[in-house]
Amino acid sequence: MARTLVVQLARLGDLIQTIPAITALKMADQTRELDLLCPSALAPIGRLIPGVDRVLEWDGAVWRRWADDASAGVLPTHLEQAEKQLEALATHRYGTAYVLNQHCRALLAGSLLADEVKGPLLDGPLGTTMAPWASYVRDVAHTGRGCRVHLADAFCGLCGVLPPGRPPVLKKSSCRLPPTLDQIGRRGEPWIGLLVGAGAAERLVPTEIWKTWVVRFLESAPAGRIVLLGEERERGRRIQDLLPSSLLGRIWDITGRTSLLELVSVLGRCHAVIGSDTGPLHLAAAVGVKVFGWYFARARVHETGPYGPGHLVWQAVEEMEADKAERSNVRPARWPIEASIAAMLEGEMKKTAGWSVWMSRYDRWGAYYTEVSGRFGPPSERERLWRELSPSITEGSVVGAA
Amino acid sequence: MSHLLKNLEKLGRRASALAEAVRSATGSVLSLTPSREGSVTAKCGGRWVHSSYDPRKEAHSWANAQLKEWKDDEVGVVLGVGLLYHVESLALLKPGSRRLAVIIPDVSVLKDALGARPLGSWPETIEWIWGEPADMARHLADFGKPLRFMTYAPAAGLHEAVHREMEASLRRMVASRQGGQLRIAVVGPIYGGSLPIARYVTSALESLGHRVIWIDHSVHHTSYEQFNGYGDVRHRLTMQGRFAELLSLDTVARLAEDPPDLVLAIAQAPLTAGVLAHVRKKKFLTAMWFVENYRHLPYWRQLASSYDCWFVIQRGDCIEALRKAGASHVHYLPMAADPQVFYPTSLTETEQCEYGADVSFVGAGYQNRRVLLPRWLSPEWTFKLWGNEWEGAAELASVLQRGGARIDTEICRKVFNASTINLNLHSYNGPSLDPQADFVNPRTFELAVCGGFQLADERALLPELFSEQEIVRFRSPEEVPQLIRRWLHDREARGAVAEAARRRALTQHTYRHRMEDLLAVIGLRQPDRIGAVLRGDRNAGALAARAETPPELETLLSRFPRDQRVELKDVADSIRARGAGRRLAREELLILLLDSYRSETRDFV
Repeated sequence: MARTLVVQLARLGDLIQTIPAITALKMADQTRELDLLCPSALAPIGRLIPGVDRVLEWDGAVWRRWADDASAGVLPTHLEQAEKQLEALATHRYGTAYVLNQHCRALLAGSLLADEVKGPLLDGPLGTTMAPWASYVRDVAHTGRGCRVHLADAFCGLCGVLPPGRPPVLKKSSCRLPPTLDQIGRRGEPWIGLLVGAGAAERLVPTEIWKTWVVRFLESAPAGRIVLLGEERERGRRIQDLLPSSLLGRIWDITGRTSLLELVSVLGRCHAVIGSDTGPLHLAAAVGVKVFGWYFARARVHETGPYGPGHLVWQAVEEMEADKAERSNVRPARWPIEASIAAMLEGEMKKTAGWSVWMSRYDRWGAYYTEVSGRFGPPSERERLWRELSPSITEGSVVGAA
Repeated sequence: MSHLLKNLEKLGRRASALAEAVRSATGSVLSLTPSREGSVTAKCGGRWVHSSYDPRKEAHSWANAQLKEWKDDEVGVVLGVGLLYHVESLALLKPGSRRLAVIIPDVSVLKDALGARPLGSWPETIEWIWGEPADMARHLADFGKPLRFMTYAPAAGLHEAVHREMEASLRRMVASRQGGQLRIAVVGPIYGGSLPIARYVTSALESLGHRVIWIDHSVHHTSYEQFNGYGDVRHRLTMQGRFAELLSLDTVARLAEDPPDLVLAIAQAPLTAGVLAHVRKKKFLTAMWFVENYRHLPYWRQLASSYDCWFVIQRGDCIEALRKAGASHVHYLPMAADPQVFYPTSLTETEQCEYGADVSFVGAGYQNRRVLLPRWLSPEWTFKLWGNEWEGAAELASVLQRGGARIDTEICRKVFNASTINLNLHSYNGPSLDPQADFVNPRTFELAVCGGFQLADERALLPELFSEQEIVRFRSPEEVPQLIRRWLHDREARGAVAEAARRRALTQHTYRHRMEDLLAVIGLRQPDRIGAVLRGDRNAGALAARAETPPELETLLSRFPRDQRVELKDVADSIRARGAGRRLAREELLILLLDSYRSETRDFV
């Protein structure tokens, strides 16, 4: 049987949200040999995804360098070296490539590596007709209003499969932590991973706010420990500088000092993770850790909340529309410090002005979020959407159950 | 067997004709003498060519300094022969794969070197370049590689004229091979004397067939001037500084929208070091033509290392100073004239009456002009003074035209044409002639292409641009009245001189020539990028004709005119225009993929 390739060339969060599609593809045909093409920096995570036989590492920097060389005039040598790179990447041709990015680059890579491409465009990399699920994802991204289908589940739709029925988790990493990190999670409880950064400047939580959160949390949890996580070493240092020295013994600042695999191991040792950086939040959820997300600016809970049941997301909303979670670009004036600590330590749900609180759940149509203070029950529009966009796969039996 | 014979044998194995020429040469140019350390050293005309203490040690440290700059893909070219200690050090220190050439301007010097001491086998690894300057230039041009000139100054100084002639030939040779079209962004200043030059440069480059993106900051001049209204000078400086930073960023945004092969800034272009670092990080090649007196405007110090190439209108100290400040490549490029703007003009009687005079001067009221011009007034001739910034020059009030208003280019041209004698006194903020008179001002060239007769103050760099038969010059203020008397009534002689100057200017000193030279220099430095484009190697026809071009790419290239430069973007656009709905060939997919990376400009600004 021809091998299958899944192409995901975007960032960490997108790669993690590709896991359900990979799992569902594998479930649909257990004998299928399935490889993943992802950015080389994310390849260690790709290798932890269940169902992936081989990870193909896409080195964007090399392509960028060749593009620079070729920009003044394309020479045969440019094509030769590109071809050699592809040959080194994949020793054989794939039967089908499932392309999950809307960027033409991913479609072109898929077209170069596989005989058939299933992806966001129906008529090739230069086509204009979008696949139904790609249209849905684009509309959600453009309008900021979603139909409550999670992006990870939309990826399943794009691949022509239903969500896998249970949220997949990453394989255990065999990465051994260095002695300096090995103490994490050993003494004291609970250990909370705090993501100090964010993928975009507008999604950063001020360091003053994190400092307040840390102080309140450590006051409320006398045996609690905090691990500062992320790439932004400077922010980690700034938060520490703001803290009273009496608390520093309970803080582990490992910002900018971990590889991706070490981060996976550290996340796995935490009891919960909090932050606004959606990529590592997704990673934490995929490791099986409970996630507390603060979503604001362009981040929206329904499309990109942590996948799987039991995660909590505070979504910033215009105060006038505090019951809705579909607004985008909201810059919070207040932060759910007390509310998130109470939820984390006591399971108690407090209201915070300017924020709505959502809990993730899971059923046969994938992940969804319901408002904690509102009615409990899956939003009906998801099933309608699945039937409309994927009539062939929803007609027969469906996989899995909530 | 003597050192000479043994060394000639080795040289003969590498360059037999040169060995033969050395054999017949007279030699004895250098005086040989033992150094303190014992090895032989040399003098020429009373000056040491190598260290009198330890020539080997000196050569070793020279070679080490050169190695730091010399890159793998460059051919090293040594200027300066002497006793070859420095060449020996370099030949022994360099990685084996690097090519090293030595220019031999005079075989007699080489004979002295070969006879002075035993040389090992290293001469057999050297490419010896000798002959007429043009032949040597051809040899260098044929390398087809970037050249790294390494000057051993004490020895090179003996043959400065030959080196200069060879360099000029080399530039002309490379320029004559230019057939491709570059995309060049010319960044002009907000205002000032370099603004018209930026315009001349733009049209010269266009006339050479290149596509020019003219980033004209003069449109912001009015706003910039508004900041002069602040009472506190600190406010003015802060606001004007910030404004220039904003325009610097504007330049980057413009570059991002239409990426050029070369960013050519003209003096005073508002580009900050930070922005230039960013631009270079994005792989743009940057060059600055600093058409200013480096002694008067010293801001080049802060920007020296920010440009890939500097072009300056002064030699010697100026080039040295820029190098010391961090500039990696500095080249002399004198001013010029645009014959489309300045040309012989027939004037009406009224115009002749208005603009004409026996003697005239056009320019701003610098101190030397305020002091000297009154001394050159005389009842023997009529005199008209044109230009601005003459406030308070009481002695010149009677000859100052239009109340000292700024005059435009058209009036300038008419004055040049209407005046019997045009005085050309270079500016200087002192009471007499410029004691450091080196560069030649634009007026010299503009007067020449107008066919105007001029009396110019002597400049160190003038003789190589115009002979005494083309431009009459004075070396002291006292000479000027005599020269006026000499030439004023000799119409025929004046005409002959002016015509000779015009011929020379039109054949060698237009902005078109300068831009050819500038691009030739850059093309030599970057044979794979700029050089290849200039040679036409990136034209559709040349690309399609390459043996290794696959048929699919050949088909894509056949859609373009053979002499049109084809870039990745063009091929990709052509694929896109025809691609929808059909199955793309593998080469087409690869081109589109490369192009998707090329078009990434989101983090540019």
